Amino acid sequence: MPKLLEVRGLTKTFGGVVAVNDVSFHMEKGEVLGLMGPNGSGKTTLFNLLMRTFKPDSGQIFFRGEEITNYPTYRRVQKGMARTFQIPRTFHEMTIIENIHMSTRPDKITKLFGEVKFSDEERQLAASVGLEANIYKYPNQLTMGDLRRLELAKVLAHNPKIGLLDEIFAGLTLKEINEISELIKKKREEGLDFIIVSHDLRALAPLVDRVVVISFGEYVADGPYEEIVNNEKVKEAYFGC
Amino acid sequence: MKLPAWNRRIMGWLIFVGIMCVIPQVIPPGFVRICVFANYLAVFAMSWDILSGYTGYASFGHNFIIGIAAYGSAILSDRFGFPLYASMPIGIGVGLGAGMLFFLPGLRLRGNYFCLVTIALLIIAHHLVVAVRPDITGGTKGIIGLEAFVTGAIPHYYISLAIMAVAAIVLWRITKSDLGSIFHAIRMDEDIVSTAGLNTFKYKLIAFILSALVGSIGGVFYIHFLGAITPDTVFSIDFLLTIIIATLIGGQQSIIGPIIGAYFLTFLLEYLRIFDALAGPQRFLIYSAIALVLYMRKSSGIFGIIQNVIQLYKRKRGGGEEYAKIT
Repeated sequence: MPKLLEVRGLTKTFGGVVAVNDVSFHMEKGEVLGLMGPNGSGKTTLFNLLMRTFKPDSGQIFFRGEEITNYPTYRRVQKGMARTFQIPRTFHEMTIIENIHMSTRPDKITKLFGEVKFSDEERQLAASVGLEANIYKYPNQLTMGDLRRLELAKVLAHNPKIGLLDEIFAGLTLKEINEISELIKKKREEGLDFIIVSHDLRALAPLVDRVVVISFGEYVADGPYEEIVNNEKVKEAYFGC
Repeated sequence: MKLPAWNRRIMGWLIFVGIMCVIPQVIPPGFVRICVFANYLAVFAMSWDILSGYTGYASFGHNFIIGIAAYGSAILSDRFGFPLYASMPIGIGVGLGAGMLFFLPGLRLRGNYFCLVTIALLIIAHHLVVAVRPDITGGTKGIIGLEAFVTGAIPHYYISLAIMAVAAIVLWRITKSDLGSIFHAIRMDEDIVSTAGLNTFKYKLIAFILSALVGSIGGVFYIHFLGAITPDTVFSIDFLLTIIIATLIGGQQSIIGPIIGAYFLTFLLEYLRIFDALAGPQRFLIYSAIALVLYMRKSSGIFGIIQNVIQLYKRKRGGGEEYAKIT
């Protein structure tokens, strides 16, 4: 049985800065993986490599047994990978329902000549993340919590196999964190797997089965959450002691 | 009985075309020729809008494609004796092909880099057409006495109107579809379009082909209407700016805006001739100033102003939201 996601020796440099250095890890089907590391450790760069926002200098990525290292972003999405952004990125001149609509469009020209019409599924998707009252609003009219919900709705719109959530709890109130967490748990029960990057360890802990820690772009450790937070290498990476 | 919104929009276009058909019968003959220029400028402006306005890939070499198509047909018909029914489609094909060959690699670039590549091609074409085989291209003097497909201003008007109307309705229909939404989304954030699972290059290519095709068709017909072609007619920066400014004044990302802008600009330039001091290129200063002020104050152009006025009127009558959905 192939692994859901496997990363082998991924490296990315920007000029003289090594952002990700020979990182390897894997993820099984049915698993939620946490990605931890101090500020600037390379977590978002790793996400960008996984989605081909950046091209890796070396290394390989396998998704469900198939090598996708050279696949462009849109093909990875079509294969079943979808992501959110640390700073929510939306189509600012489009309403919330239009934003979701864009994520449900097939990549087939012959199916794109029809008039723009929002389906019941798209409305249900907005409702499933708690945005039903805001579908005709524009992104700049939303709170950070609602923007995170929109990001999540866009991920779910692809019906992916794996969702990559980058700092999904950043800038949220405790109530919003609980709501988003419940949403993630619910989707997990429905069979969707996640990789979650978060600084909020309290929010992350109940959601993940396993955690991978990176620091200065290098793999540090991986294992169950409780084991990882007591790992000496991890403490050193976070606290320098 | 109230028509569905979609049918009302089509009805609006039919009324517009109907009014335009009547115009030559009610205006002085001298004005008809000006309207022909306006129609062709509208075609060029719409073709610029579908690529540059919608996807945000601002082409500063749009008239490179128009010029290649026009020269293609002019050379074939005048130098090699091709009949117009053969030279014109071949010219359109040559324009489209040249655009694909030279501009497509540029679509992998973004922002200013794309602008630089396109304007560089335009300048190169301007020089090459003078220097390479002037016995065929006519050099700086160009080719005069091109065969016309019809005679008289009114037949030319109806042909230019037909091209403009078909291009406008087709392009407008596309912009109101999911495909048009994708063009618009590429303008806003191309990376997010990729993360939506859409191959952005494919959609940029479609926008480019539409733009080049409409531009080439317009260019070929325009040059046989003029009866002469020179490098300055089609490859000059002035011509490029006229296309861009017509789009911006009228209102980019609307298809209707470029038509309004083309008529506004063409008639403005003609009326400025009345003033002796503005008979020459000085007129361009005036229209550039108008364009600048208008664009700074209202970036959605004249069409945006018209939309706002209608919305205000509708809102007072309690139907503003419905109108906003229609437009």
